[in-house]
Parts: sequence; C-alpha cells; structure tokens
Amino acid sequence: MRLPRALLVPLLLAPLMAAALPGGGSAVVTTEQVRAELIAHAPQGVAAGQPLWLGLSLDHKPHWHTYWKNPGDSGLPTTLQWTLPEGFKAGEIEWPTPARLPIGPLMNHGYEGRLLLPVKVEVPAGYAADTLPVKLRADWLVCKDVCIPEGGDFSLEIPVRSAVAARGADFEAAFAAVPQPLAAAKATANVGPAGLALQVEGLPAVWAGKAIEFFPEAPGVLDNAQPRKAAWDGSRWTLQAPLSDQRLEAPSRMDAVLVAAGETPGARIGFDIAGSWPAPGGTPAPAPAAAPAAGTTAPIGLGLALVFALIGGAILNLMPCVFPVLSLKVLGFAAHADDRRAHAISGLAYTAGVVLSFLALAGVLLALRAGGEQLGWGFQLQSPAVIAVLAALFTLIGLNLAGVFEFGSVLPSSLASLQARHPVLDSLLTGVLAVAVASPCTAPFMGASLGFAVTLPAAQALAVFAALGLGMALPYLAASLWPGLARLLPRPGAWMVRFKVLMAFPMFATVIWLVWVIGQQTGIDGAAALLAVLLALAFIAWALGTPGIGRVARASFGALGVLALAVALSWMLPSFHASAATATGARAEAGWEPWSEQRVAELRAAGKPVFVDFTAAWCVTCQYNKRTTLADPAVVADFAARGVVLMRADWTRRDPAITAALAGFGRNGVPVYALYGRDGAPQILSEILSVREVRDALARL
Amino acid sequence: MDNVFRLAALAAALSASASVLAAAAVDQPAPAFSAVDTGGKTVSLADFKGKTVVLEWVNPGCPFVRKHYDSANMPATQKNAVAKGAVWLAVNSTHRGASDYMAPAALAGWMKDQGAAPTATLMDADGKVGRAYGARTTPHMYVIDPKGTLVYAGAIDSKPTADPADVKTATNYVNQAVAEVVAGKPVSQPVTQAYGCSVKYGD
Repeated sequence: MRLPRALLVPLLLAPLMAAALPGGGSAVVTTEQVRAELIAHAPQGVAAGQPLWLGLSLDHKPHWHTYWKNPGDSGLPTTLQWTLPEGFKAGEIEWPTPARLPIGPLMNHGYEGRLLLPVKVEVPAGYAADTLPVKLRADWLVCKDVCIPEGGDFSLEIPVRSAVAARGADFEAAFAAVPQPLAAAKATANVGPAGLALQVEGLPAVWAGKAIEFFPEAPGVLDNAQPRKAAWDGSRWTLQAPLSDQRLEAPSRMDAVLVAAGETPGARIGFDIAGSWPAPGGTPAPAPAAAPAAGTTAPIGLGLALVFALIGGAILNLMPCVFPVLSLKVLGFAAHADDRRAHAISGLAYTAGVVLSFLALAGVLLALRAGGEQLGWGFQLQSPAVIAVLAALFTLIGLNLAGVFEFGSVLPSSLASLQARHPVLDSLLTGVLAVAVASPCTAPFMGASLGFAVTLPAAQALAVFAALGLGMALPYLAASLWPGLARLLPRPGAWMVRFKVLMAFPMFATVIWLVWVIGQQTGIDGAAALLAVLLALAFIAWALGTPGIGRVARASFGALGVLALAVALSWMLPSFHASAATATGARAEAGWEPWSEQRVAELRAAGKPVFVDFTAAWCVTCQYNKRTTLADPAVVADFAARGVVLMRADWTRRDPAITAALAGFGRNGVPVYALYGRDGAPQILSEILSVREVRDALARL
Repeated sequence: MDNVFRLAALAAALSASASVLAAAAVDQPAPAFSAVDTGGKTVSLADFKGKTVVLEWVNPGCPFVRKHYDSANMPATQKNAVAKGAVWLAVNSTHRGASDYMAPAALAGWMKDQGAAPTATLMDADGKVGRAYGARTTPHMYVIDPKGTLVYAGAIDSKPTADPADVKTATNYVNQAVAEVVAGKPVSQPVTQAYGCSVKYGD
C-alpha cells in the first residue's frame, strides 16, 4: 500500500478514538488534516423562541479540503447526526458558499481553510434542566490528492440559563458566508440537447459584468468540469451549462448558488426548467462543424489510421524538408533510366530503406515509451547535437554535389566502392536518409496517426509506422516499377553534372534552416559555433578532396583543418549545454503570449476565446503557417475583433507541459492549432492552415 | 501545390467524420478501448463481443476501494458476475506521478492478496480509458451488455460511506444490473451517483 505513513496514523486512530470515548468524546477532535470542534451559540441563553445554533468548525490543514452538499465529481458531503434531549430539533446544515476545487480533469465543490457548518436548533418550551447535553456524530471526507474518511463523536454541555456567545464571531462569519436567497432575482431555464440554458434578471447591481460561478445543489445533473458559457446581456446574466453524460435525474426544478467574483456571499436561486431533457449522453460538441474536436475525439480506428498514415507518408514527399532528398532521388532515377531491372530493384530497396527506418523509429519510440519517456515526433530535432550532425551531413553532401570533393577520396575506398558496386545498398541508404530528414515535417494527419500509434499495442504501432514509410516510398516505387512514369524523366547527359551542382543549393538551403534552428535553440553563439564547425569541415573536405594538391600540402592542410575543427567543436559543444536554460519558450512576440495550460483555463473562465499555436522552430510547416496565414491581415483583424487571446506554445526544445498538452489532443507533433471558445472542446484546425479555415473557425465561436 | 491543399482538406474532412465523441453514456454504445493488463497483455473491449462486461475503477490507495475489498464485497461481486458469464475488467487510471500509483506487479499482488477475481486488471496510467468513460471516482462501476451498450454507470452500492459495516445493508447496484442483463431485462437503476476518491488523472 502506497498511502503515506503519516496518513495511516489518523486512519488507524480514528476508530480507536471513537471507541475509547464511549458515549462521549469531547468538543474537539484533531486529526492530521483537520481540527474539528463542536461549538454553540445561544446569546440569549437556551430558551424557547430564542436563537440556538450549534455548529461543527473544521480547520483544514493547508491544501486539504472537505465537501459542499453537492461535492461535484467525487467526494462526499460532511454529515452531522445529532443526539439532543427530547423536543429539541436540529435543522439542516446551512452550507456556506462553496468554492470550485479542480482536481485534474475533475471538478469538486468544497472548502479549504477555516469552515463552520452551522445548524439551527429549535428549543422546546419548558426545558427545565440546567444544562443542555449535545452529542454529535460527524463524518467528513478530507482530501488533498489522497482522500481520508474521518469522523468523530463530539459532546458539549451548554449552560441553559446564561448567554453562550464566546464563539459568536465564528457564527457571524459563517452566517455571512451562507448564500442568501435573492428576492429580486428572476430566473428562467430551458433544457435541450445543448444543455441547460439559464437566464437570471435582478442580480445585485454590484455583480454587473463580473464573472459568476454556478453551483447546482443537485449532484449528477450538470457536467461539473466542462467549462460553461456565461455572459452578461445588459442586466441579464445568461448561462449555458453542458449536462452530465451520466445524468442521474431530469428535474423540473433546480436550486443553485451563484457566486460573483470577489463578492461574498453567494446568492441562492431556484428555477423551473422548461423544455425536455435529452437522452443521457446526447450533449453534442459545441462545434459540430468540419473542424475535428480532437480534445474529445476517440482514437481513430486502426484501418483508417493505416490509410491516413499512407496518405500522410506520400505527402511527406512534398514537404519542404524532404525536398532536398527528393532531389537526390531524382538524380538516382536519371542514373538508372536505362536499366529497368536495376530500376525496380532500386525502387524496392528504397522502399525497404524507408519502411525499415520507420520501423526502427517506431522501435525506438516504443522502447522509450516503455521507459516512460515523454516522447514527441520531431523529438530528435529538439536536440542541438542532432541538428549539428544533420547540418554537417548536409554541408558535406552539398559540397560533394558542388564538386568540392568526391566521396571516393574521403571515405575509405572499400566503403566508396561498396556504394558504387551496390546501387541496391545505395538506394536503401537513400531511403534511410529520406526518413531522417522527413521526421520534423509532421505532414497533415500524420500527427493524428502518430499520436494514435503511440497509444497502440506494439504490433499495431509498428503497422502504422510501416504504412507511413510505405506511403512515403510510394511515389518513388511507382515510378521505378512502371517505367512509363520514369520515362517522363529527361535522358541522362551532360546536363546531369549541372543538375548535380544545382542540387547542392537545396542542400545548403537546408543547412541554413538547420543553423537557424540551432540559433533558436541555443542563441546566436551556438549558431555561430556551428557555422565555425561547418567551415572547418568544409576546409578539411577541400584539403583532402581537391585534386592536384601535393601530398605534404594536403597533409598540412588536413591537420590544420582537424585542428580548426577541434577548436570549433570545443566552442560549440559547451554552448549547447550552457544555453539549455534559456529556452525559447518564453520569448515574447508582439501580440502573442507564451502558452501555459493555467493561463488558458483562466482566460476561458474569464470568458475570453483563446487561440494556441503549438509550434517549433524546426517545424517548417509551422513556420510557413506562422508567416502566411497567421500573419494574414484579415486573420489578424478577425482575431482582434473577437478579442481572441493569442498564445504560442514553443516546442523547439523539449517541454513536458507542451508534450502533455499535445497528447491531450491525441497528437504527438506540431503544428497543432487549437481555438478555444468559452466552453466545450477546442476546435482543432488543420496543419496546413488556410486563412479561410481560421476565419470560419472564428465565425463559429 | 494547390492539389496538396485540396488533398489535405479532403483527408481532414474524412478524419473529422471518423472522430466520434467518446463520452460514455448509458444506452449508448460503450467506447471501445485497448489497455495493457498487469501481466503485460493487451486487452480490448472488442475481445469480449457478445459478453456482459463489468468495468471497475480501482485504486488500492483509496479508502473507499479498501472498504469494498476489506469487507470482501468487491471480490464477491466479481465472483458473482464471472459466475454468471460476465467479464470483469478492473481498471486503474491512477497516473504515475500520484502518491498512490501502483506498478503493475504490485497492483496484481494486491488484487491477489484481496482474493479478487477480475478477468483482468488493466493499467490506464494515462487515463485514456477513464476519460473515455467519464470515470470520476474509485470505485466507479460500469456494466456493458452483450450488444456492447453501456447499461449501468455509477456506484457499487447505495451507501456512500467509507464504513465497511454499511456493505451489509446497502443495495449492490452491480449485482442487480448484472442479474438483470443476464436475465435479458432492462436495468432498473441505470445511473447512480458514484462515490469515492477522485480518479487520480495526470494533468
């Protein structure tokens, strides 16, 4: 049992305490979590017609709470059982105004700090004794993250003929906290498939415009945790509250407590409910339009996931970060244009390379998942070291294509000839390379497939990844198997050399992007250091690769280059670690707030719509959307007109909170665009964001 | 490039229509799920088509759960359901960071010590199954009929206390629902107010 030992003590002691004090107990019961005391208030003495109040005072230790009459999603209300002399009648608990106590995705109603639960007692005429013996059995559930049922037997002797007012201040405070009926208020309610719609007129003037919390007194009718849509319409306050999916009843009348922000106490209202209750579970999502409300979506079926993975994989070919490798592949086609058999073999080898890489990625993903690591797609590009290695790789490929050096003269001759002799292996490696580069570009719906895959049993997850790989290899494979497609390519010739050099430019463009990512991750020092490393590498490649340099000169240049590389590395590597703390997450950009789950909840509670851009510097799709759609004047104006608060969740570096939030959408990569209305699930927009889509989503708010 | 966008829009629309709201509700199809049991085996609701399935949200750190195990009420309810041909899946949605999270082996050991007889005990540390069913408390009980319709959601019994002595005088809603489902009758009390500790979902 993992219950903290400190909590076990009162658990074990509570029954003992009760047993040790048969028929009695004292006025005070103290546990590790609360100090409970039975107190009385009879300012005129105990006499018929005069006020007599009894109460249980509960002082909670910090962060512990007990519950209101409707405890919300879990918990139990405190119960009081009185034993009083004949003729005395104890009333119900006059519950003070409760507070909302969120716990994870659940919502409770209760009290922290100091609480008094007062009960009015009716005194019979002709009570002759000198004292009034009061016995109370009280049970309460006290919770923090763990819950402990506690209780106690209390007793108190109240002198009948003298004023009992020592605890008057406690009772006055409690009375002041009890929600009062609002005589002036008129509430009407309607129920329908969208939930309970409530309109209240005649609320206190000081409440106007303030946020109001709504506490239904009956449990199990309304959804406690889902945000509710509340608004002021002049002097009228309206509320749209979603119904509980597991509704207990369909009442024709409800009582509730309203609490305005900063105003105490709350107000009690009662209202008749018109309309007909929908069948339980019929509460639809607030935005049934095209946008998938991924926050509440069920994982998509396996078959569909495989199809999407296939499509997503194919689209990867068109993503900017795959384009350089696609160029490599085009070069490969030209090289094999005459040989149909080699062509087909190359296509199959490439497919195998891609699929195997995806399976290897899936294997790593699954292994890390097993280790409890919070892993996200594109994760590998969150490590500056991986970025640096990729930048170096692309620089060398670019230099090679540009003709600065031949691989044969740098790589051991056996490896080089291996490449030449085994075009099959070459194709396989091209496939592997393509996957390594594709990973940061979470193509449309690949996010959903991946998020889904991570939650799947290993075999199914592997199937999804294999489908992704197959999809990505498909265009190449198709062209290689049907020479008709391949024949559309130009014939080999002298142009190929020019084409090869031309292809160096996308490589260098990719390097620019990678250096920029490093800059985002580690600052300008890290980026400059990486450039120094790349320069040293280029120098070594030139020294060793350029023909016609004498042996001694080549060796000296080479040594110099290696030395330069060592110096550059010694500059670069520490900068990766040193800057780890200065994450990019909190960078302020005009009009955009850094994201936090809590801030989103606060803003929504305040009735403000929120748009969150889950992004990363290394995600090209994200950057494209940021600079086009999200910068579009019409979109910007629409955001402003609707008072949407813009937030950016930057996942350039690992951030567990963002990883968790993405998982909440069933996603595992960026971009994700979430538009939160005042309540309900957020609208999740597509990954290739169009102006039209954003404006349509805003119109649905 | 325009074609790419069009294809993307098409696929997005497809994915939207495939997304089903997963809030479990009585008289509606029970949400499908797969989870790994304490032995590492994957268990899916779909494995039990044609059978009555009982779901129990469990967390040994919760006094209300212990009430029903210490009093042998939960094991007896499990044995009763299994004897009637039902499948019993105990689900632990406590997240790994919670103070009363139990590793699969420890949970399996605890269940065994209690004489529990579920068909499987499922680990749901990410809370996916719990959230799909709207499980709020431990215990929180669900009964799914052989057609895959959720027919009961709520408390284990009618006395919302932590006192094991109350088990004797309480109405066991799960026994009642399982008996009615097996007899082909509608469940007389399809929804009750679940009581207990909060399910310790991760945020």
